[in-house]
Amino acid sequence: MKLRILLADDHEIVRRGLCALLQRHEGWEVCGEASDGREALEMAKQLKPDVVIVDIGMPFLNGLDTTRQLMQHDPQFKVIVLTITDSDQVIREALDAGARGFVLKSDAARDLVAAVEALQSKRMFFTPRVNDLVLAGFLEKGHAASRNEPPDLPTLTAREREVTQLLAEGKSSKEVAVLLNLSTKTVETHRSNIMRKLSLHSIRDLVVYAIKNNIIQIQMPPQLHGTPEPTVA
Amino acid sequence: MAVRILLVDDHPIVRQGLRTLLEGRSGWEIVGEASDGIEALDKVDTLQPDVVVLDVTMPRMNGLEACRLIQQKQQKGKTSGLEVLFVTQHDSPQMMREALDAGARGYVVKSNAARDLLEAVEAVSRHRVFTALARGPYPSC
Repeated sequence: MKLRILLADDHEIVRRGLCALLQRHEGWEVCGEASDGREALEMAKQLKPDVVIVDIGMPFLNGLDTTRQLMQHDPQFKVIVLTITDSDQVIREALDAGARGFVLKSDAARDLVAAVEALQSKRMFFTPRVNDLVLAGFLEKGHAASRNEPPDLPTLTAREREVTQLLAEGKSSKEVAVLLNLSTKTVETHRSNIMRKLSLHSIRDLVVYAIKNNIIQIQMPPQLHGTPEPTVA
Repeated sequence: MAVRILLVDDHPIVRQGLRTLLEGRSGWEIVGEASDGIEALDKVDTLQPDVVVLDVTMPRMNGLEACRLIQQKQQKGKTSGLEVLFVTQHDSPQMMREALDAGARGYVVKSNAARDLLEAVEAVSRHRVFTALARGPYPSC
């Protein structure tokens, strides 16, 4: 029986590359492709893939929260996180979220097949940097305190994190309500609770918070002649 | 005559994705790949492509700088008829302006590359301008 893989990345061009890479492997098939975290959740519940590969920087629901919600739904899901950065915080959040594999996008052509093979053999796969951090006792220091919740987000519910991401992406309360199938009033209540819990006073504060805590990711362009403009990934 | 295309992006998986999109088109040939601006300049010399599909953010030398140097090569007559098409994550009018000022003929955002890339390569290979931001109006040729 073939190993079934679900891919989640907001860039079709990346999904095409990943598909081409994975489908060269005999015995594997890409059973579905999702372009954001919410779609990935729905497809995973429906398709029950053996492995889910999620990009961290996705719209509507980022890869870390997608992983958290997948693991809450069924801890048997095997998730590989694809990321453009292996900062300490991202590594720790990915591990806390329940990812069993961690691959840098820049190294995906080299590492992704090995990562899927590892999960297929009920092992985990991490970049050398993650292994170094684990060996250094990085996880021992803070893991116990934050096993169930990401650092710096001690009081937000999963729904509040979703609302935080959508507001930080520039959506209005009304747009968030439509996306999450809630009333605008409920979204406004979530919004007030988020601002109060995090002691934030404006949407600008919320965006900064979301960037700092990897709820949304930005990539800075090369220095332009004018003012550089960050791009939400 | 075949359109000879050079793919330049620091992520091999993106180059593979671009390749799968472009290879199916009859009359187009992927003649090479490069992972940064310096390698791209070398391959422009050796492979003489018609179109360079170029990322902006890359190590060693970014795409904007590579594009400016490619234009200098053209002015010195080292290459001719070559066009640069940016395929980038930066969905920004300012970055698009910078790319066109550097001498590019086209600008496509990665999130929409699957939609826009074929049309963009077709346009720039005929020396026509093609620009399309994800949030802006649909492509203007």
